[in-house]
Amino acid sequence: MSALATTVNVMHHAFRAGLADYRAIFTWKSWLAGWMVRVIAQVAFFALIGERLGDDQKTFYLLVGNSILIAAVVGVFSLNMTTAERWAGTLPLLVASPSSPVIVFSARGSYLAVDGALSALAALFVAGPMFGMDLPWPRVLAVVPLTAVVALASYCFGTFLAGIVFRFRSINGLVVLTTHVSLMAACGVNVPLSYYPEALEWLSRVLPVTNGLLAIRGVFDGADVATILGNAALEGAVAVGWMTVALATFNQLASRGRRDGSLDYGA
Amino acid sequence: MPLVTVPLFTVTFLAVVRHAGRDDLTAYAVMAPVLIALWQLSLLDSGEIIEADRWQGVLEVVIAAPANVSTVVLGRVFAVTAVAFLAFIEVWFVARALFGVTIEFHHPGLFLLTLAASGLAMSGTAVIMAALFVLARSARTFQNSLSYPFYVLGGVLVPVSFLPDWLEPLSSVVFLSWSADLLRDSLDPAPVSGAAVRLGMVLALGTGGFVIGRLLLRRILNRVRADGTVGYA
Repeated sequence: MSALATTVNVMHHAFRAGLADYRAIFTWKSWLAGWMVRVIAQVAFFALIGERLGDDQKTFYLLVGNSILIAAVVGVFSLNMTTAERWAGTLPLLVASPSSPVIVFSARGSYLAVDGALSALAALFVAGPMFGMDLPWPRVLAVVPLTAVVALASYCFGTFLAGIVFRFRSINGLVVLTTHVSLMAACGVNVPLSYYPEALEWLSRVLPVTNGLLAIRGVFDGADVATILGNAALEGAVAVGWMTVALATFNQLASRGRRDGSLDYGA
Repeated sequence: MPLVTVPLFTVTFLAVVRHAGRDDLTAYAVMAPVLIALWQLSLLDSGEIIEADRWQGVLEVVIAAPANVSTVVLGRVFAVTAVAFLAFIEVWFVARALFGVTIEFHHPGLFLLTLAASGLAMSGTAVIMAALFVLARSARTFQNSLSYPFYVLGGVLVPVSFLPDWLEPLSSVVFLSWSADLLRDSLDPAPVSGAAVRLGMVLALGTGGFVIGRLLLRRILNRVRADGTVGYA
Protein backbone atom coordinates (compact mmCIF):
# COMPACT_ATOMS: atom_id res chain seq x y z
CA MET A 1 0.00 0.00 0.00
CA SER A 2 1.40 3.42 -0.94
CA ALA A 3 1.97 6.10 1.70
CA LEU A 4 -1.01 8.06 0.41
CA ALA A 5 -3.29 5.03 0.43
CA THR A 6 -2.14 4.22 3.97
CA THR A 7 -2.88 7.76 5.14
CA VAL A 8 -6.34 7.69 3.53
CA ASN A 9 -7.00 4.33 5.14
CA VAL A 10 -6.00 5.66 8.58
CA MET A 11 -8.17 8.75 8.09
CA HIS A 12 -11.11 6.64 7.01
CA HIS A 13 -10.95 4.46 10.11
CA ALA A 14 -10.33 7.46 12.37
CA PHE A 15 -13.40 9.19 10.91
CA ARG A 16 -15.50 6.10 11.55
CA ALA A 17 -14.20 5.97 15.13
CA GLY A 18 -15.21 9.62 15.52
CA LEU A 19 -18.71 8.88 14.24
CA ALA A 20 -18.96 5.98 16.68
CA ASP A 21 -17.95 8.36 19.49
CA TYR A 22 -20.64 10.79 18.44
CA ARG A 23 -23.31 8.11 18.25
CA ALA A 24 -22.36 7.06 21.80
CA ILE A 25 -22.87 10.64 22.99
CA PHE A 26 -26.02 11.55 21.11
CA THR A 27 -29.08 9.81 19.81
CA TRP A 28 -31.37 11.71 17.43
CA LYS A 29 -33.71 12.38 20.35
CA SER A 30 -31.02 13.69 22.70
CA TRP A 31 -29.46 15.73 19.88
CA LEU A 32 -32.78 17.44 19.19
CA ALA A 33 -34.07 17.71 22.77
CA GLY A 34 -30.72 18.52 24.35
CA TRP A 35 -28.21 20.00 21.96
CA MET A 36 -30.55 21.81 19.56
CA VAL A 37 -32.59 23.28 22.41
CA ARG A 38 -29.38 24.67 23.87
CA VAL A 39 -28.21 26.01 20.49
CA ILE A 40 -31.47 27.76 19.74
CA ALA A 41 -31.63 29.12 23.29
CA GLN A 42 -28.10 30.47 22.89
CA VAL A 43 -29.03 32.32 19.72
CA ALA A 44 -32.31 33.50 21.24
CA PHE A 45 -30.47 34.75 24.34
CA PHE A 46 -28.48 37.18 22.22
CA ALA A 47 -31.28 38.03 19.81
CA LEU A 48 -33.39 39.00 22.82
CA ILE A 49 -30.79 41.66 23.64
CA GLY A 50 -31.66 43.24 20.30
CA GLU A 51 -35.34 43.11 21.28
CA ARG A 52 -34.45 44.77 24.57
CA LEU A 53 -32.56 47.47 22.67
CA GLY A 54 -35.70 47.96 20.60
CA ASP A 55 -33.84 47.71 17.30
CA ASP A 56 -34.68 45.02 14.73
CA GLN A 57 -31.41 45.51 12.89
CA LYS A 58 -29.48 44.83 16.11
CA THR A 59 -31.64 41.76 16.72
CA PHE A 60 -30.80 40.36 13.29
CA TYR A 61 -27.13 41.29 13.65
CA LEU A 62 -26.92 39.40 16.95
CA LEU A 63 -28.96 36.52 15.62
CA VAL A 64 -26.77 35.95 12.55
CA GLY A 65 -23.53 36.39 14.51
CA ASN A 66 -24.46 34.00 17.27
CA SER A 67 -25.90 31.40 14.89
CA ILE A 68 -22.66 31.25 12.96
CA LEU A 69 -20.68 31.21 16.21
CA ILE A 70 -22.26 27.80 16.86
CA ALA A 71 -20.29 26.41 13.90
CA ALA A 72 -17.11 27.66 15.53
CA VAL A 73 -17.98 26.38 18.99
CA VAL A 74 -18.56 22.85 17.71
CA GLY A 75 -15.57 22.94 15.37
CA VAL A 76 -13.25 23.97 18.18
CA PHE A 77 -14.52 21.01 20.27
CA SER A 78 -11.99 18.97 18.29
CA LEU A 79 -9.40 20.08 20.83
CA ASN A 80 -11.09 17.72 23.29
CA MET A 81 -9.93 14.74 21.25
CA THR A 82 -6.53 14.48 22.89
CA THR A 83 -8.04 14.74 26.36
CA ALA A 84 -10.52 11.98 25.55
CA GLU A 85 -7.67 9.74 24.38
CA ARG A 86 -5.68 10.56 27.49
CA TRP A 87 -8.61 9.65 29.76
CA ALA A 88 -9.16 6.43 27.83
CA GLY A 89 -5.47 5.56 28.25
CA THR A 90 -5.01 5.15 24.50
CA LEU A 91 -2.90 8.25 23.91
CA PRO A 92 0.49 6.55 24.45
CA LEU A 93 -0.56 3.73 22.08
CA LEU A 94 -1.57 6.26 19.48
CA VAL A 95 1.72 8.13 19.71
CA ALA A 96 3.64 4.85 19.56
CA SER A 97 1.81 3.71 16.43
CA PRO A 98 3.42 4.26 13.00
CA SER A 99 0.70 6.75 11.99
CA SER A 100 1.07 10.43 12.65
CA PRO A 101 -1.17 11.45 15.59
CA VAL A 102 -2.26 14.63 13.82
CA ILE A 103 -3.61 12.60 10.89
CA VAL A 104 -5.65 10.47 13.27
CA PHE A 105 -6.92 13.41 15.34
CA SER A 106 -7.75 15.60 12.37
CA ALA A 107 -9.73 12.81 10.69
CA ARG A 108 -11.35 11.56 13.86
CA GLY A 109 -12.71 14.99 14.78
CA SER A 110 -13.75 16.06 11.30
CA TYR A 111 -17.36 15.07 11.96
CA LEU A 112 -17.39 18.07 14.29
CA ALA A 113 -17.03 20.43 11.33
CA VAL A 114 -20.09 18.82 9.74
CA ASP A 115 -22.02 18.89 13.00
CA GLY A 116 -21.00 22.51 13.61
CA ALA A 117 -22.19 23.65 10.20
CA LEU A 118 -25.49 21.76 10.52
CA SER A 119 -26.11 23.08 14.05
CA ALA A 120 -25.37 26.65 13.00
CA LEU A 121 -27.63 26.47 9.98
CA ALA A 122 -30.42 24.87 12.00
CA ALA A 123 -30.09 27.65 14.57
CA LEU A 124 -30.21 30.33 11.88
CA PHE A 125 -33.16 28.87 10.00
CA VAL A 126 -35.17 28.17 13.16
CA ALA A 127 -34.35 31.25 15.24
CA GLY A 128 -34.43 33.63 12.24
CA PRO A 129 -38.16 33.24 11.51
CA MET A 130 -38.87 33.18 15.28
CA PHE A 131 -37.57 36.74 15.47
CA GLY A 132 -39.15 37.85 12.21
CA MET A 133 -35.94 37.90 10.21
CA ASP A 134 -36.20 37.83 6.44
CA LEU A 135 -34.24 35.00 4.80
CA PRO A 136 -34.05 36.16 1.17
CA TRP A 137 -34.60 33.22 -1.15
CA PRO A 138 -32.62 31.94 -3.06
CA ARG A 139 -29.77 34.25 -1.99
CA VAL A 140 -29.82 32.74 1.50
CA LEU A 141 -28.62 29.44 0.03
CA ALA A 142 -25.16 31.02 -0.23
CA VAL A 143 -25.04 30.95 3.57
CA VAL A 144 -24.81 27.13 3.52
CA PRO A 145 -21.34 26.78 1.95
CA LEU A 146 -20.10 29.88 3.76
CA THR A 147 -21.10 28.37 7.11
CA ALA A 148 -19.31 25.19 6.12
CA VAL A 149 -16.12 27.21 5.53
CA VAL A 150 -16.46 28.83 8.98
CA ALA A 151 -16.94 25.40 10.57
CA LEU A 152 -13.92 24.06 8.70
CA ALA A 153 -11.71 26.99 9.74
CA SER A 154 -12.81 26.58 13.37
CA TYR A 155 -12.13 22.88 13.21
CA CYS A 156 -8.60 23.55 11.86
CA PHE A 157 -8.05 26.05 14.66
CA GLY A 158 -9.32 23.46 17.17
CA THR A 159 -6.88 20.89 15.78
CA PHE A 160 -4.03 23.33 16.36
CA LEU A 161 -5.26 23.92 19.92
CA ALA A 162 -5.45 20.14 20.41
CA GLY A 163 -1.67 20.05 19.93
CA ILE A 164 -1.22 22.71 22.60
CA VAL A 165 -3.49 20.81 24.99
CA PHE A 166 -1.63 17.64 24.07
CA ARG A 167 1.55 19.17 25.47
CA PHE A 168 0.18 21.32 28.27
CA ARG A 169 -2.63 19.18 29.65
CA SER A 170 -3.13 21.32 32.75
CA ILE A 171 -4.60 24.13 30.65
CA ASN A 172 -7.14 21.96 28.83
CA GLY A 173 -10.18 23.29 30.68
CA LEU A 174 -8.94 26.84 30.37
CA VAL A 175 -8.49 26.55 26.60
CA VAL A 176 -11.91 24.95 26.08
CA LEU A 177 -13.73 27.60 28.07
CA THR A 178 -11.92 30.69 26.91
CA THR A 179 -11.79 29.87 23.19
CA HIS A 180 -15.56 29.90 22.81
CA VAL A 181 -16.08 33.15 24.72
CA SER A 182 -13.01 34.79 23.12
CA LEU A 183 -14.36 34.12 19.64
CA MET A 184 -17.71 35.50 20.80
CA ALA A 185 -16.07 38.66 22.12
CA ALA A 186 -13.52 39.37 19.40
CA CYS A 187 -14.81 38.18 16.03
CA GLY A 188 -17.55 40.67 15.21
CA VAL A 189 -20.26 38.34 16.47
CA ASN A 190 -22.06 40.89 18.64
CA VAL A 191 -20.63 44.27 17.64
CA PRO A 192 -18.83 45.38 14.48
CA LEU A 193 -15.04 44.94 14.45
CA SER A 194 -14.64 48.70 14.21
CA TYR A 195 -15.94 49.06 17.78
CA TYR A 196 -12.75 47.53 19.19
CA PRO A 197 -9.16 48.87 18.98
CA GLU A 198 -7.50 48.39 15.60
CA ALA A 199 -4.98 45.86 16.95
CA LEU A 200 -7.79 43.59 18.09
CA GLU A 201 -9.44 43.91 14.70
CA TRP A 202 -6.25 42.69 13.00
CA LEU A 203 -5.95 39.84 15.47
CA SER A 204 -9.54 38.79 14.90
CA ARG A 205 -8.89 38.62 11.16
CA VAL A 206 -6.59 35.62 11.66
CA LEU A 207 -9.09 33.86 13.89
CA PRO A 208 -11.85 31.66 12.51
CA VAL A 209 -15.36 33.15 12.21
CA THR A 210 -14.43 36.81 11.54
CA ASN A 211 -14.01 36.76 7.76
CA GLY A 212 -16.64 34.08 7.12
CA LEU A 213 -19.15 35.97 9.21
CA LEU A 214 -18.48 39.14 7.21
CA ALA A 215 -19.20 37.15 4.05
CA ILE A 216 -22.45 35.82 5.50
CA ARG A 217 -23.53 39.27 6.67
CA GLY A 218 -22.76 40.40 3.11
CA VAL A 219 -25.26 37.83 1.80
CA PHE A 220 -28.01 39.24 4.03
CA ASP A 221 -27.05 42.86 3.36
CA GLY A 222 -27.01 42.41 -0.43
CA ALA A 223 -23.27 42.98 -0.82
CA ASP A 224 -21.69 42.36 -4.22
CA VAL A 225 -20.45 38.88 -5.01
CA ALA A 226 -16.78 39.93 -5.15
CA THR A 227 -16.91 41.22 -1.57
CA ILE A 228 -18.59 38.05 -0.33
CA LEU A 229 -16.17 35.79 -2.16
CA GLY A 230 -13.21 37.86 -0.94
CA ASN A 231 -14.20 37.40 2.69
CA ALA A 232 -14.96 33.72 2.09
CA ALA A 233 -11.49 33.29 0.55
CA LEU A 234 -9.93 34.93 3.60
CA GLU A 235 -11.81 32.51 5.87
CA GLY A 236 -10.55 29.65 3.71
CA ALA A 237 -7.01 31.01 4.03
CA VAL A 238 -7.42 31.12 7.81
CA ALA A 239 -8.47 27.45 7.71
CA VAL A 240 -5.43 26.47 5.62
CA GLY A 241 -3.17 28.57 7.83
CA TRP A 242 -4.27 26.97 11.09
CA MET A 243 -4.16 23.46 9.67
CA THR A 244 -0.64 24.13 8.39
CA VAL A 245 0.42 25.32 11.83
CA ALA A 246 -1.26 22.27 13.38
CA LEU A 247 0.58 19.90 11.03
CA ALA A 248 3.87 21.65 11.71
CA THR A 249 3.61 21.63 15.49
CA PHE A 250 1.42 18.72 16.53
CA ASN A 251 3.92 15.89 16.10
CA GLN A 252 6.70 17.89 17.77
CA LEU A 253 4.49 18.56 20.76
CA ALA A 254 3.56 14.87 20.90
CA SER A 255 7.22 13.85 20.73
CA ARG A 256 8.04 16.05 23.70
CA GLY A 257 5.26 14.35 25.64
CA ARG A 258 6.81 11.01 24.75
CA ARG A 259 10.24 12.18 25.93
CA ASP A 260 9.11 13.47 29.32
CA GLY A 261 6.52 10.74 29.91
CA SER A 262 3.57 13.11 30.28
CA LEU A 263 1.26 11.41 27.81
CA ASP A 264 -1.05 9.78 30.28
CA TYR A 265 -2.49 10.58 33.69
CA GLY A 266 -0.44 7.90 35.34
CA ALA A 267 2.74 9.77 34.52
CA MET B 1 -12.78 27.82 35.68
CA PRO B 2 -16.01 29.66 34.77
CA LEU B 3 -14.48 32.68 36.51
CA VAL B 4 -12.00 32.90 33.62
CA THR B 5 -14.80 33.66 31.18
CA VAL B 6 -16.39 36.38 33.31
CA PRO B 7 -14.25 39.25 31.93
CA LEU B 8 -14.97 38.12 28.35
CA PHE B 9 -18.72 37.94 28.96
CA THR B 10 -18.54 41.35 30.61
CA VAL B 11 -16.74 42.85 27.61
CA THR B 12 -19.26 41.26 25.23
CA PHE B 13 -22.39 42.44 27.05
CA LEU B 14 -21.08 45.91 27.83
CA ALA B 15 -19.91 46.32 24.22
CA VAL B 16 -23.38 45.45 22.92
CA VAL B 17 -25.31 47.89 25.12
CA ARG B 18 -22.80 50.72 24.84
CA HIS B 19 -22.37 50.31 21.09
CA ALA B 20 -26.16 50.70 20.86
CA GLY B 21 -25.91 53.88 22.93
CA ARG B 22 -28.00 52.35 25.71
CA ASP B 23 -25.95 53.22 28.78
CA ASP B 24 -29.16 52.86 30.78
CA LEU B 25 -28.85 49.08 30.33
CA THR B 26 -25.41 48.90 31.94
CA ALA B 27 -26.86 47.24 35.05
CA TYR B 28 -28.17 44.44 32.84
CA ALA B 29 -24.78 43.97 31.20
CA VAL B 30 -22.81 43.82 34.45
CA MET B 31 -25.12 41.53 36.41
CA ALA B 32 -25.46 38.89 33.68
CA PRO B 33 -21.84 37.60 33.88
CA VAL B 34 -22.16 37.25 37.67
CA LEU B 35 -25.30 35.14 37.34
CA ILE B 36 -23.77 33.09 34.54
CA ALA B 37 -20.70 32.33 36.68
CA LEU B 38 -22.92 31.45 39.63
CA TRP B 39 -24.97 29.06 37.50
CA GLN B 40 -22.01 27.43 35.78
CA LEU B 41 -19.97 26.91 38.92
CA SER B 42 -22.82 25.64 41.05
CA LEU B 43 -24.79 23.55 38.67
CA LEU B 44 -22.12 22.21 36.38
CA ASP B 45 -19.11 21.86 38.68
CA SER B 46 -20.91 21.14 41.95
CA GLY B 47 -23.42 18.95 40.17
CA GLU B 48 -20.67 16.41 39.69
CA ILE B 49 -19.88 16.00 43.40
CA ILE B 50 -21.52 12.61 43.95
CA GLU B 51 -20.30 11.23 40.65
CA ALA B 52 -16.75 12.43 41.40
CA ASP B 53 -16.86 10.85 44.87
CA ARG B 54 -17.90 7.63 43.23
CA TRP B 55 -15.01 7.72 40.76
CA GLN B 56 -12.55 8.47 43.54
CA GLY B 57 -13.89 5.65 45.69
CA VAL B 58 -14.87 7.83 48.66
CA LEU B 59 -18.66 7.64 48.31
CA GLU B 60 -18.76 4.55 50.56
CA VAL B 61 -17.16 6.54 53.37
CA VAL B 62 -19.47 9.50 52.81
CA ILE B 63 -22.53 7.23 53.00
CA ALA B 64 -21.24 5.41 56.08
CA ALA B 65 -20.67 8.65 57.98
CA PRO B 66 -23.38 9.63 60.49
CA ALA B 67 -24.05 12.99 58.79
CA ASN B 68 -26.85 13.26 56.25
CA VAL B 69 -25.40 12.96 52.74
CA SER B 70 -27.57 15.64 51.18
CA THR B 71 -26.61 18.11 53.90
CA VAL B 72 -22.94 17.34 53.28
CA VAL B 73 -23.46 17.82 49.53
CA LEU B 74 -25.30 21.10 50.13
CA GLY B 75 -22.43 22.39 52.26
CA ARG B 76 -19.84 21.43 49.66
CA VAL B 77 -21.88 22.97 46.87
CA PHE B 78 -22.28 26.16 48.85
CA ALA B 79 -18.51 26.40 49.29
CA VAL B 80 -18.08 26.33 45.50
CA THR B 81 -20.98 28.73 45.03
CA ALA B 82 -19.37 31.22 47.40
CA VAL B 83 -16.33 31.34 45.09
CA ALA B 84 -18.63 32.45 42.27
CA PHE B 85 -19.14 35.76 44.04
CA LEU B 86 -15.59 36.65 43.04
CA ALA B 87 -17.15 37.13 39.62
CA PHE B 88 -18.62 40.38 40.82
CA ILE B 89 -15.16 41.74 41.62
CA GLU B 90 -14.00 40.76 38.13
CA VAL B 91 -17.00 42.47 36.54
CA TRP B 92 -16.46 45.60 38.62
CA PHE B 93 -12.80 45.74 37.55
CA VAL B 94 -13.41 45.10 33.83
CA ALA B 95 -16.29 47.58 33.68
CA ARG B 96 -14.14 50.21 35.33
CA ALA B 97 -10.84 49.54 33.52
CA LEU B 98 -12.10 48.94 29.97
CA PHE B 99 -15.33 50.92 29.77
CA GLY B 100 -14.90 53.53 32.50
CA VAL B 101 -18.14 52.31 34.06
CA THR B 102 -18.62 52.69 37.79
CA ILE B 103 -21.22 50.37 39.26
CA GLU B 104 -23.37 52.26 41.75
CA PHE B 105 -25.27 50.43 44.46
CA HIS B 106 -28.42 52.37 45.17
CA HIS B 107 -29.75 49.63 47.45
CA PRO B 108 -26.61 47.94 48.82
CA GLY B 109 -28.42 46.04 51.58
CA LEU B 110 -30.85 44.52 49.12
CA PHE B 111 -28.01 43.75 46.72
CA LEU B 112 -26.09 41.78 49.35
CA LEU B 113 -29.21 39.99 50.60
CA THR B 114 -30.13 39.01 47.04
CA LEU B 115 -26.63 37.71 46.35
CA ALA B 116 -26.73 35.63 49.54
CA ALA B 117 -30.23 34.31 48.78
CA SER B 118 -29.19 33.50 45.20
CA GLY B 119 -26.17 31.60 46.46
CA LEU B 120 -28.35 29.54 48.78
CA ALA B 121 -30.96 28.93 46.09
CA MET B 122 -28.28 27.94 43.60
CA SER B 123 -26.76 25.48 46.04
CA GLY B 124 -30.17 23.93 46.72
CA THR B 125 -30.82 23.58 43.01
CA ALA B 126 -27.36 22.09 42.40
CA VAL B 127 -28.23 19.17 44.70
CA ILE B 128 -30.81 18.11 42.09
CA MET B 129 -28.11 17.95 39.45
CA ALA B 130 -25.72 16.10 41.74
CA ALA B 131 -28.41 13.45 42.07
CA LEU B 132 -29.51 13.40 38.43
CA PHE B 133 -26.00 12.93 37.06
CA VAL B 134 -25.75 9.70 39.00
CA LEU B 135 -29.35 8.56 38.49
CA ALA B 136 -29.47 8.86 34.72
CA ARG B 137 -26.50 8.36 32.43
CA SER B 138 -28.31 10.37 29.78
CA ALA B 139 -28.46 13.34 32.16
CA ARG B 140 -24.81 13.98 31.43
CA THR B 141 -25.61 14.36 27.75
CA PHE B 142 -27.87 17.21 28.75
CA GLN B 143 -25.32 18.78 31.09
CA ASN B 144 -24.01 20.99 28.34
CA SER B 145 -27.57 22.02 27.52
CA LEU B 146 -28.37 23.38 30.95
CA SER B 147 -26.85 26.77 30.30
CA TYR B 148 -28.53 29.05 27.77
CA PRO B 149 -32.09 27.71 28.12
CA PHE B 150 -31.91 28.70 31.79
CA TYR B 151 -30.22 32.02 31.02
CA VAL B 152 -33.19 32.82 28.79
CA LEU B 153 -35.83 31.53 31.22
CA GLY B 154 -34.02 33.17 34.14
CA GLY B 155 -33.96 36.57 32.46
CA VAL B 156 -30.23 36.72 33.15
CA LEU B 157 -29.70 39.52 30.65
CA VAL B 158 -33.11 40.35 29.24
CA PRO B 159 -36.13 40.48 31.57
CA VAL B 160 -38.62 37.67 31.20
CA SER B 161 -41.26 40.19 30.14
CA PHE B 162 -39.57 40.09 26.73
CA LEU B 163 -40.23 36.37 26.40
CA PRO B 164 -43.34 34.98 24.71
CA ASP B 165 -46.32 34.91 27.10
CA TRP B 166 -46.41 31.11 27.16
CA LEU B 167 -42.86 30.97 28.55
CA GLU B 168 -43.42 33.39 31.43
CA PRO B 169 -45.10 30.87 33.80
CA LEU B 170 -42.15 28.55 33.25
CA SER B 171 -39.63 31.27 34.02
CA SER B 172 -41.43 32.18 37.25
CA VAL B 173 -40.38 28.82 38.75
CA VAL B 174 -36.74 29.45 37.82
CA PHE B 175 -35.28 31.28 40.81
CA LEU B 176 -32.78 33.05 38.55
CA SER B 177 -35.58 35.18 37.13
CA TRP B 178 -36.38 36.56 40.60
CA SER B 179 -32.67 36.99 41.46
CA ALA B 180 -31.82 38.75 38.21
CA ASP B 181 -34.66 41.26 38.53
CA LEU B 182 -33.83 42.00 42.16
CA LEU B 183 -30.12 42.43 41.49
CA ARG B 184 -30.81 44.84 38.65
CA ASP B 185 -33.36 46.74 40.73
CA SER B 186 -30.83 47.10 43.55
CA LEU B 187 -28.56 49.03 41.15
CA ASP B 188 -31.41 51.30 40.09
CA PRO B 189 -32.11 54.54 41.98
CA ALA B 190 -35.88 53.92 41.92
CA PRO B 191 -37.47 52.38 45.04
CA VAL B 192 -37.71 48.59 44.88
CA SER B 193 -41.22 47.27 45.27
CA GLY B 194 -42.04 43.99 47.01
CA ALA B 195 -38.42 43.24 47.82
CA ALA B 196 -39.23 40.97 50.79
CA VAL B 197 -41.68 38.85 48.82
CA ARG B 198 -39.30 38.56 45.89
CA LEU B 199 -36.42 37.58 48.18
CA GLY B 200 -38.74 35.03 49.75
CA MET B 201 -39.46 33.58 46.31
CA VAL B 202 -35.73 33.14 45.63
CA LEU B 203 -35.31 31.30 48.93
CA ALA B 204 -38.50 29.27 48.49
CA LEU B 205 -37.52 28.07 45.02
CA GLY B 206 -34.03 27.23 46.26
CA THR B 207 -35.48 25.30 49.18
CA GLY B 208 -37.79 23.49 46.80
CA GLY B 209 -34.76 22.53 44.71
CA PHE B 210 -32.97 21.20 47.77
CA VAL B 211 -35.99 19.13 48.87
CA ILE B 212 -36.30 17.58 45.41
CA GLY B 213 -32.54 16.97 45.28
CA ARG B 214 -32.61 15.36 48.69
CA LEU B 215 -35.40 12.98 47.70
CA LEU B 216 -33.60 12.07 44.49
CA LEU B 217 -30.34 11.57 46.33
CA ARG B 218 -31.98 9.25 48.86
CA ARG B 219 -33.46 7.20 46.04
CA ILE B 220 -30.12 6.99 44.26
CA LEU B 221 -28.19 6.01 47.35
CA ASN B 222 -30.75 3.31 48.13
CA ARG B 223 -30.38 1.99 44.62
CA VAL B 224 -26.56 1.89 44.56
CA ARG B 225 -26.55 0.31 48.03
CA ALA B 226 -29.02 -2.36 46.90
CA ASP B 227 -27.20 -3.30 43.72
CA GLY B 228 -23.72 -3.01 45.22
CA THR B 229 -22.49 -0.24 42.92
CA VAL B 230 -21.66 2.46 45.45
CA GLY B 231 -18.11 2.33 44.11
CA TYR B 232 -17.01 1.53 40.58
CA ALA B 233 -14.37 -0.95 41.66
